[in-house]
Amino acid sequence: MAQVIDLLSWAALLGGGFFYVVGAIGLNRMPDIFTRMHAVSVSETLGVGLMIFGMLMQAGFTLVAVKLIIIVLVMWTTGAVATHALARAALHDGEKPLLADATGALVATDPVSLFPELGVRLATPLKSEIVEEEPVESGAPEDAETLAEAGYGAEEEDANPDAERPDSADKEGQ
Amino acid sequence: MMFAAAIIAVLIAMTLAVARALAGPTAFDRLLAANNIGTSAIMLLALFGFMTERPEFLDIGITYVLLNMIGTLAVLKFFRYGALGHAQDLDKDRDLS
Repeated sequence: MAQVIDLLSWAALLGGGFFYVVGAIGLNRMPDIFTRMHAVSVSETLGVGLMIFGMLMQAGFTLVAVKLIIIVLVMWTTGAVATHALARAALHDGEKPLLADATGALVATDPVSLFPELGVRLATPLKSEIVEEEPVESGAPEDAETLAEAGYGAEEEDANPDAERPDSADKEGQ
Repeated sequence: MMFAAAIIAVLIAMTLAVARALAGPTAFDRLLAANNIGTSAIMLLALFGFMTERPEFLDIGITYVLLNMIGTLAVLKFFRYGALGHAQDLDKDRDLS
């Protein structure tokens, strides 16, 4: 029995190490930030998962096994979140993924041209760009309304209603 | 012995990730490599703890897992806004986040 468990551990740890190295090689050889993310995902899911499984076999039913399971679950969830955020930040920064054109050659393509509905989200101006466009007098009340609709800042309005009302009344009078 | 083999694999992967972090053309490549190095460090901690039969290293590993993700998101937010600003300031960009 112990030998079977050892054999399973060996297989899982070696397999995990293999996928880990494969992911690292992909990180170096892939042509593009987005494909590199794909390569890293391999090592962060399969590599880590298999290695943790190999350690689980050795740990048995102990507190150590619980800690290992916590580590692998947190890593699987947060790895996906971090990769998603990284891809969005890269896209928003203007990184163009390498996509195959009609002839099969890799060309840096703007994803907005392929998915128009994506462009709506990507093209939404940043805060620094909004500040230049919006006039100052209409900015403040709109913000209060939108924040109140979304449930933000409701406490602040309740706390000092007097501070808001004369301000808006003055503007309506003008 | 089996843990030593896995440790060697992780060390090789870590070296390659360092190479990408040094060479990466964009900041996002470097950040991706840094994230991978953090993951490798966690696996090294766990494997080393098992190899020396001191599994207390796993507690440090759990801390590193949580810090790794927070660190990545913090750096990304810094790229995006140029500052780790207040939630109120970022509210205008709520559609994006």
